[in-house]
Amino acid sequence: MDFGCGPVKGKRVIIDEPSRPYNPSDPDSDTGSTMASKDAVSNKSTKSAKRSNGTTTGSVKSQSLFNMLGKDWQILGALLAVAMAVRLYKLSQPSSVVFDEVHFGGFARKYINGKFFMDVHPPLAKLLFALVGYLGGYDGEFDFKEIGKDYLSAGVPYVIMRLYPALLGVAVVPLIFLTLKASGCATTTAVLGAGFTIFENGLMTQSRHILLDSPLIFCTALTSFMWTMFERQQANAFSGRWWTFLAGTGLALGLTASIKWVGLFTIAWIGALTVHQLWNLLGDLSVSPRKWFNHFFARAICLIGIPVGFYMFMFAIHFACLTNSGDGDAFMSPEFQQTINGKAAPATAADVAFGSKVAIRHWNTNGGYLHSHPHAYPDGSKQQQITLYPHRDDNNVWEIHNETEIVLPDGSAPIYLEDKMVIKLRHILTDKRLHSHDVKAPVSEADWQHEVSAYGFPGFAGDANDFFRVEIQKDLSRGDLAKKRVRAIDTKFRLIHIMTGCALFSHKQKLPDWGFEQQEVTCAKQGTKPNSIWYIEGNENPHFGPDAETVSYRKPGFLAKFWELQKVMWTTNAGLVESHNWDSRPTSWPILKRGINFWGKDHRQIYLIGNPLVWYSTTAAILLYIAFKALIALRWQRGYTDYQHEAVRHYDWSVGTNVLGWALHYLPFFLMARQLFLHHYFPALYFGILTLCQGWDFFTKKFLGNAQARSAATILALMASAYVFSIYMPLSYGGPWTKAQCEKSKLMKTWDFDCQTFHDDMSMYLGESSSQVSVKGPVPTSTTVPSTQRQDPQVPVQQKPLAMPPVAQQPQQPSGQSPPAVVSKVEYRDQFGNILNDEQVEALKKQQNVIFETSYKTETKTRGQDQYGRVYEGEEFERIKELERMHAEQVAAGGDPSKLTFVETVQNSASEMEQSESKSRETKVVTETKKVTKTLTESSVHTETVIETEEIPEMHTETVSQTVIQGGEPEGVRGTLAEAQNPLTAEAENMPKGEKTEPHDAKMAMGGVDRQVDDAAFPEPAEGSEVPAAEETA
Amino acid sequence: MAESPALRQRAGKKKATITTPEPEDLTAPYTKVTSGPKYSKKAYGIAVTVLTALAFITRFYRISHPAEVVFDEVHFGKFAAYYIQRTYFFDVHPPFAKLLFGFVGWLIGFDGEFKFENIGDDYVKNNVPYVLMRALPATLGALTVPIVFGIMQEANYGLPACVLAASWVLFDNAHIAETRLILLDACLVFSMAFSIYAYVCFMRHSKTPFTRGWWMWLMLTGLGLSSVFSTKYVGLFTYFTIGVGVLFDLWRLLDVNHGLTLPQFGKHFAARAWGLIIMPFCIYLFWFWVHFTVLSKSGPGDDFMSPEFQATLSDNPLTASSVPVYYGDVITLQHKDTKAFLHSHPGRYPLRYEDGRVSSQGQQVTGYPFDDINNHWRIHPGSPVRVAGDAILNGDLFKLEHVQTNTILLTHDVASPNYPTNQEFTTVPIVDANAGRFNDTVFELRMEKGKPGQPWRTKAGLARIVAKQYGVAMWTQNTKPLPDWGFKQQEINGNKAITQPSNIWYPASVVGPAEAERLATEPKKEVKTVPFLKKWWELQTAMIRHNNALTSEHPYASWPGSWPFLSRGVSFWTKDATREQIYLLGNPVGWIIASSTLAVYAGIALAQALTERRGVKVLSERDGRRIWEVTGFFVLAWAAHWIPFWGMGRQLFLHHYLPGHLCSSLVLGAVVEFIGSRIHEKAARIIGNGHDARKFKEEMARGVGMEEVMVTGLLGVLVWTFWWFAPVTYGTPGLDVEGVLGRKWMSTWDLHFAK
Repeated sequence: MDFGCGPVKGKRVIIDEPSRPYNPSDPDSDTGSTMASKDAVSNKSTKSAKRSNGTTTGSVKSQSLFNMLGKDWQILGALLAVAMAVRLYKLSQPSSVVFDEVHFGGFARKYINGKFFMDVHPPLAKLLFALVGYLGGYDGEFDFKEIGKDYLSAGVPYVIMRLYPALLGVAVVPLIFLTLKASGCATTTAVLGAGFTIFENGLMTQSRHILLDSPLIFCTALTSFMWTMFERQQANAFSGRWWTFLAGTGLALGLTASIKWVGLFTIAWIGALTVHQLWNLLGDLSVSPRKWFNHFFARAICLIGIPVGFYMFMFAIHFACLTNSGDGDAFMSPEFQQTINGKAAPATAADVAFGSKVAIRHWNTNGGYLHSHPHAYPDGSKQQQITLYPHRDDNNVWEIHNETEIVLPDGSAPIYLEDKMVIKLRHILTDKRLHSHDVKAPVSEADWQHEVSAYGFPGFAGDANDFFRVEIQKDLSRGDLAKKRVRAIDTKFRLIHIMTGCALFSHKQKLPDWGFEQQEVTCAKQGTKPNSIWYIEGNENPHFGPDAETVSYRKPGFLAKFWELQKVMWTTNAGLVESHNWDSRPTSWPILKRGINFWGKDHRQIYLIGNPLVWYSTTAAILLYIAFKALIALRWQRGYTDYQHEAVRHYDWSVGTNVLGWALHYLPFFLMARQLFLHHYFPALYFGILTLCQGWDFFTKKFLGNAQARSAATILALMASAYVFSIYMPLSYGGPWTKAQCEKSKLMKTWDFDCQTFHDDMSMYLGESSSQVSVKGPVPTSTTVPSTQRQDPQVPVQQKPLAMPPVAQQPQQPSGQSPPAVVSKVEYRDQFGNILNDEQVEALKKQQNVIFETSYKTETKTRGQDQYGRVYEGEEFERIKELERMHAEQVAAGGDPSKLTFVETVQNSASEMEQSESKSRETKVVTETKKVTKTLTESSVHTETVIETEEIPEMHTETVSQTVIQGGEPEGVRGTLAEAQNPLTAEAENMPKGEKTEPHDAKMAMGGVDRQVDDAAFPEPAEGSEVPAAEETA
Repeated sequence: MAESPALRQRAGKKKATITTPEPEDLTAPYTKVTSGPKYSKKAYGIAVTVLTALAFITRFYRISHPAEVVFDEVHFGKFAAYYIQRTYFFDVHPPFAKLLFGFVGWLIGFDGEFKFENIGDDYVKNNVPYVLMRALPATLGALTVPIVFGIMQEANYGLPACVLAASWVLFDNAHIAETRLILLDACLVFSMAFSIYAYVCFMRHSKTPFTRGWWMWLMLTGLGLSSVFSTKYVGLFTYFTIGVGVLFDLWRLLDVNHGLTLPQFGKHFAARAWGLIIMPFCIYLFWFWVHFTVLSKSGPGDDFMSPEFQATLSDNPLTASSVPVYYGDVITLQHKDTKAFLHSHPGRYPLRYEDGRVSSQGQQVTGYPFDDINNHWRIHPGSPVRVAGDAILNGDLFKLEHVQTNTILLTHDVASPNYPTNQEFTTVPIVDANAGRFNDTVFELRMEKGKPGQPWRTKAGLARIVAKQYGVAMWTQNTKPLPDWGFKQQEINGNKAITQPSNIWYPASVVGPAEAERLATEPKKEVKTVPFLKKWWELQTAMIRHNNALTSEHPYASWPGSWPFLSRGVSFWTKDATREQIYLLGNPVGWIIASSTLAVYAGIALAQALTERRGVKVLSERDGRRIWEVTGFFVLAWAAHWIPFWGMGRQLFLHHYLPGHLCSSLVLGAVVEFIGSRIHEKAARIIGNGHDARKFKEEMARGVGMEEVMVTGLLGVLVWTFWWFAPVTYGTPGLDVEGVLGRKWMSTWDLHFAK
């Protein structure tokens, strides 16, 4: 209910006309700048003329910006200078990766390298980071892997990259000044707004780093400015300026939405105001219907057409930049992947006949191919597992047979697979058949889901539970022939189990560790139909000649790709629900309950927290307006005439607009289940500052009669905000501070910056410079950021490579619980390859001219451990494996499971590989892995156990592994271990699902390594959001 | 919300001291320009009688079939049985409708022995007077029909519209199927319809405030509202609907032109606050009071409540067999949430876990849900101030000795097998425990809501067991068992978040003869009393907590978007032998037409808003206001009973839309009348000219008009579809494959016996 409708205007009396709220765009409400033209209009229309017999008591004078006084420009210039000084000061500090720079720096790198990635944010701001970085000379080598990683030694032009958001942050200052001026505020008020923006610690901190929020806020501010200017032009509809600002608003909206989807809230805001405008125009009978439609279409084109076009254009650039395969591939459909270099599936034989060896892909999920491997279900039938596996692999290959498995003689005509035919599918590598029976599904609870297994043994012809009927889905299959019989790729079909009538089914349900977190496959009597649809991707038949007809995926056009990416972004975004150390809920934002720890090192830290003065006064201003609105509505209903005052109407309208903006940028977050952070409040805060200033303007004009008093009050407020700003400055710039000052500045207990980080006394910071960095002291962020590197950045630059790794690298485990454990070992060698013992290493460490270099080698050994902790290696292990296999077969054949179980461990040690040359490292490791894989396949070790070894050891685990290996007595170490393991598992959760490769296919394993090397899936410093992976939690 | 032009003009009027006629009340008696007083009161009377009779026939037809437990009768029949046996149970719905069932059951002599355990259990064999129990919802369901008629009549709609709306509920298969069974929805829908009816009647008295009729309908509205939300919490949607109406009305009264002084307005406000907030809430509480009074014995719901609450129930194990625990006793400790006992056995933790972490290799301490000798622990004092034989008091320090292995429980700074952040629990030999490891073995007893010095008792003594040295609470969970080396038992570990509600343990028993001896010497315990409001608050919070937890999947659950167009039903009952089934499905034609009408209404409202805005008067002011304020109110009611479901995380079913469907039927009646009258007027304008037009109108008004034709046509289709789907509604007769397929109009209707 709009209680505010129907104010009384001036002294005019309106009897027969529904009156309207004050609105600068309303032709009836006079404001200074438009008076002249208004009167002209009124004279033309008798209706308006009748109304305008009152004079406007203009306590509000809004000037056009086009004739702003020279003095104002001077003030603006001064403000700009202050803003520059405040925001660019020590921009190069800290010289290491801060917070989400991990992501956005990483994305810039991927743009430069052209590797396809998936992120939940639209591309504009990221593209610009890449452009700026590229222009600044960034070559895409540095990987922004973790918070605290040093820029200087890597020669990254990070200052230039930071300069771009920082300058946009500075540009917000003139924007807010001009917006306030344009909406009719006094210069003092505009100065206040600009000052509050400059001295807002949060906005400032956020704009100094490679983050998306500064561009976002700038574009939001730009939209607000354009719209305010557009509203000023209402009297001159369809004039040049009118069009300019309308189109400008549209463009600004496009920019905003192309940076983050939060821009949709800005669109909603402008949309609401536009509807209101149109509604007013509709009620203005002097506007002819034809003219009204002109208004309507002009706005539709500029405010819908321009933003949508711009947004799509950004994605066109995005696709043009990312042409190579990268870690985002796995999110996209096979059709989409056809457009990525190196990911296109080869064309395959089109016709499918009995005897064809096929790879069957699930249609509705990106889960992959119907897969089996020599592992049994731990429960249920204990037969061999059937899963969905996302990568091409020999274990995905099935041979199609008819019921009797008659093998056709060579040269005979193939029998094509037609609709309603009954088939059996034989898993070639394990010689078992796809099988289902009335046994509860492995994970799904529903009783309409049955287990699917691979069953059989040599010499066994199979039974009736192996029969499946092919049902072609005509509506989904493409082409007449594909509707009649099964053709690769084109035909979509269901497989109905003959005996139970259920359909082969899969859904986004992961199997536990024993199924290697692959996707569950069941046979479902109910359930959604799309999940039971399959098609054939790889197809090969010995009966077909080399010239047989082939098919391949159709490459999607831009629109199809665009739309698919939007959908994937949406689902990924909605799926980011796990909690983060520094996340917060929307209720805590207006009261500034908590900030975000950005960075911490060397007794300094950067902590995102707002200027409490600005922050609380904006919240108060919003509450004040709501109270004011309620009061005035009640008074209006009781017949009071507050609305006769121009100033009241102006305050109501202009502040109402901004409060609406605030609400639309704030309240929708309550509906979001995903992880949220304080910086999501910044666009709302911007509208809050506008609200505050408009309120200030109204109340100072009302209660402070003369202009000098107003100026004095403004200066006082500015000084206060600058003072409060200065208190929190050390947190914003990462500057020196003392424990005492820090403790004193904590207004709320929930502000969790760590005061213990700082020195007791400022003098202790003397003598430390940015290049001389101490190695001591715990880093406050270590809970979030497990691996802040604490190496002297200078040393490696100066000295010659000599020796071996000082630290061990421990490969990551994708889930933290998979069967094989990984052991890392550290070896120190000199340049001749001699192994050094601990004393030698210690001695070398003390020498000045020695440099330690980390290099890696992955070496895989298998080792078994039974439940009593006994360890088996080599031949003995093989023997026990054999026993276990026999045992498993017994179990599969219905025997009683005994207690003989194995846990396998894979040992992993590190040695010689150059760290600095990441490219050569990749290749080398790949080769290694290949070799390893081969041996393993020969020795027939459980395939899945090897998976973990293929990962490149990662830097951030070093602290942990070092503790384990080098720490002396286990007693003392335990505590650390328990603590340290926590972040480790947390990291492991973020591994992308591509990780789990199986060694059967060496090519795939390579792919896995490749992906791993440039993956952004690292310890999540912040928005785990940004990382698409987040697949599975422990 | 409706924003009437009249509202907009007020301030202006005052200034100009021009008074336009007093704006009419929302439901002021209103005669249509076109049809006039066409139907006599008698005609309305006859119509409502016929419809009511039909309603009873359709609801009671073969009500004894099936003589088996159907769908949720499992729950609500069971609850009635519990009421009759007076054993305490727990449910997420408020008690009103369940009490009614219990009352009816008691009245007809049901003994409550039959517990409605499974769908398909036979009533006849078990001698359950189920027909009479079903008669209650059937009666309420039948009475809903005249109430709907009444709403339309009181809102001044013509007879055709009244008949149409009432028939839409009368011949609806979903309403019938749902209200013939022992389910809460009949009561819900009836009270909801009654609340709207009472409110409409109340508005008709708005010109004569504070008269007897005004007060009566105000109170009845309040009563109706309290019944709705005492039946199910979706009743709050009805509350919201009427609340918005009342606020709108109050806003109108506040208007200075209305002429009320502020004290007068205050009186209006207070009357409504009393009648619509305070009184309904008191009635709501009253049902809980009845609930607690009836359920005086211990029963299956005990475990949901606190020990204090349980102590108010007679025969409950807490009062019956709770004994104090003394140092030196051998006890078993049970985890409250998972019911697992603290357990240990000679197995050891493996040196290394799968993820490479190391363990202490100490003796395993696990949670084990079955009675076992390895669950026995002897409790020793952990501080010198207590000796064996002393009572154990809240806040005491103690040690636990595993009796079978003679080892002492301890926790230390080693990560637990499954939770790297939690501490491992293990045991060490007594020697080690006394030397060096002493501090690791001392635990503190922190009783839940315990007073200092309160003795620890078996069963009732809920407590956290906190390791003194590390500040971690003993914890377990049953979602992630230990691997094979731990025999798939539950992991016990030290949880740093001490305040979590899942950290609670209690001593299940004192092992040996000591318990019986102590029990014999215990003074006879009396059933305690707890203040009613305290009990109510505890139950209320528990209900909300459990309601939010109802997120499991159900094969027939559906999402709100599928309801208006009926894309999914609910299978209630099937019988293979006779191929009979009950499948909850609305009257497809009825639902689709009613839902489409909402779109038509949106179109009419939009057109009206636009023309009004452009100063074009298409409708008379009265017609325009009825569109906004009367039909609009029905649309609001519909939206309030549908949209909030979108935000609910819990499982939802088609029957949640029944109130929404009822509201859409009201809209249907209103819109059909509106369209009929518009066509009428248009025709009059085209055919007649000059003053003949009026004559023509009058003639048309007497004869059969457009409305009657439309209503008759719609009813014909409606009744036919009702008849066609009757077999799956009444569960009889059985259908052959062809019959089922012929009724499977949408592929998403998963009817049984389709093959």
